[in-house]
Amino acid sequence: MHALRAKLKTQKGNFTLDLEVDFINGITGIYGPSGSGKSTLMHVISGLENPDHGYITIDNEVVLDTSKQVHVKTRKRQIGYVFQEGRLFPHMTVRKNLLFGSSYTHQAKQLIEFEELVELLEIRDLLEKRPKNLSGGERQRVAIGRALLSAPKLLLMDEPFSSLDVALRRQIIPYLIKINKKLGIPMLVVSHDLPDLLSLTQELFLLRNGRVEGHGNYFDLIQSEKSLDMMRGAGLMNVIPFKVESHDVENGLTHLMNRDASHEIHVERELINDSCNAGDELNVSLRPEDIAITLQEIKDISIRNQLKGKVSKIIKKENRIYCLVDVGFLLIVSITQASQQKMKLETGSEVYCLFKSMALQVNT
Amino acid sequence: MSELLNFSEEELLAIGLSFKVAIWCAVLILPPSLMIAWWLARKNFRGKSVVEGFLNLPLVLPPVATGFILLLLLGTNGVLGKYLNDWFGLKLAFSFYAAVIASMVVSFPLAIRAIRLSIEMVDPAYEEAAKTLGANSLQTFVRVTLPLALPGIISGFVLAFARSLGEFGATIIFAGNISGESQTIPLALFNEIQIPGHESAAFRLLMVAVIFSFVAMSFSEFLVKKLHHRK
Repeated sequence: MHALRAKLKTQKGNFTLDLEVDFINGITGIYGPSGSGKSTLMHVISGLENPDHGYITIDNEVVLDTSKQVHVKTRKRQIGYVFQEGRLFPHMTVRKNLLFGSSYTHQAKQLIEFEELVELLEIRDLLEKRPKNLSGGERQRVAIGRALLSAPKLLLMDEPFSSLDVALRRQIIPYLIKINKKLGIPMLVVSHDLPDLLSLTQELFLLRNGRVEGHGNYFDLIQSEKSLDMMRGAGLMNVIPFKVESHDVENGLTHLMNRDASHEIHVERELINDSCNAGDELNVSLRPEDIAITLQEIKDISIRNQLKGKVSKIIKKENRIYCLVDVGFLLIVSITQASQQKMKLETGSEVYCLFKSMALQVNT
Repeated sequence: MSELLNFSEEELLAIGLSFKVAIWCAVLILPPSLMIAWWLARKNFRGKSVVEGFLNLPLVLPPVATGFILLLLLGTNGVLGKYLNDWFGLKLAFSFYAAVIASMVVSFPLAIRAIRLSIEMVDPAYEEAAKTLGANSLQTFVRVTLPLALPGIISGFVLAFARSLGEFGATIIFAGNISGESQTIPLALFNEIQIPGHESAAFRLLMVAVIFSFVAMSFSEFLVKKLHHRK
């Protein structure tokens, strides 16, 4: 199923957007630096802007085809657009904001009941408040709720992380995952922050200068030099799905197991949400700089996480070496050129990847 | 002292008529002002400045000239007035309607300006959001633009009301100075001033004019402040 297909070409001043995208259901991240055309793409998809040439289909329905003069208006495209600043109507309470779109929606098409949505987004206490009295995170949840109540076929999220404080920015992630799981609505999430995006999804489109530079799974993308080069500046990140195995209360650690149960790692107990039980899935992120490579297992060392693997690819960028190590899943490790030469690392070398429990970040 | 409150029947008639003309003027002017203000605030088209210039004309034209133009257009032998008279038997000039029309024409630019400024202050981002939620242009205007621009709309209404209370030149030319028909406070005041010994009558009307205008303007200030706090 294609949630959205588009082929677009449009000129704005001396900026040209020229791309072809094909989004599947699920959550897709669109990463690109500022000025790469992310906002224009969102505007064109939602119909707030018209491109010079191209076509768009949403849920296999044509909403734009310049060659046949088809221009379905924004209000008929059934797209939930969550704007960066939320754009909640300041003269209405949260409740009225949420219900704004329902008067234009057939009740039968509704994805979710009002009451259920209020529970899902935990906004019951906010219903009678005005937007100016909400925090950034609350405002964003209300904006998501308002979009969902207009029964969209597709949810567009514009920079959902950047309107929040650094400490709070990832708070929105669990809600987005819940919504996607529960309602099965496809989501496009635009961000210029790669680590934030990766903690939400590994399906990526990379945008630069109005063009698609690469798309697919993050781990496939980092194996291509071109896309690696593009993502490098934004902060590469390892994101690995794990299952909670057990809590070691005495040592304050939690044991996690990867999908095929071949590897166990330990993270600090306090990083993990109290509500997490054995068997729950979570994503662990780890910066490539925080991983060390050794040729043998090291016994007398405080680092508990030592994963054995094979170097599957070595990519050199300036004086940096990026090693892709297959430890049952792919890990990207960044080391210096000097280390690589001294250790004589090459494709196929057997290595151990070491990282401290403290270097791990957990996204539930 | 008692003379100051001792209004004659004719004076009371002028006060009541002023009020009636001003209300009608403000009410009738509101819908077209809203439409034109929205159009000027949100649309760009060729010749926009010509349209703006034309709409602002009554602001700078001597009101007497405006009255004369109205007379030429809508008078019983006027360009349009002739047909109104022939087809419908409608004689607009020198009537209550003429007083309302004269007020409307001179207040029009003021109302448009106030409303347009407040619509321009409404971030189009909210209108975009409304469209993504399924609202059409009219629904967006009624549910989003209008409430957000309300302070300016109220001040446009009050400005039209107050301007109408003060209207003299266009009214006396186009509507005449007929007691009970078109003699509003300024026209009655003009009469009294011209008659020696009628100073106290002139003073009574003067007081009423000041109080009316003052109350109208304070009321609009109050509403605008209140609405701003709401946001």
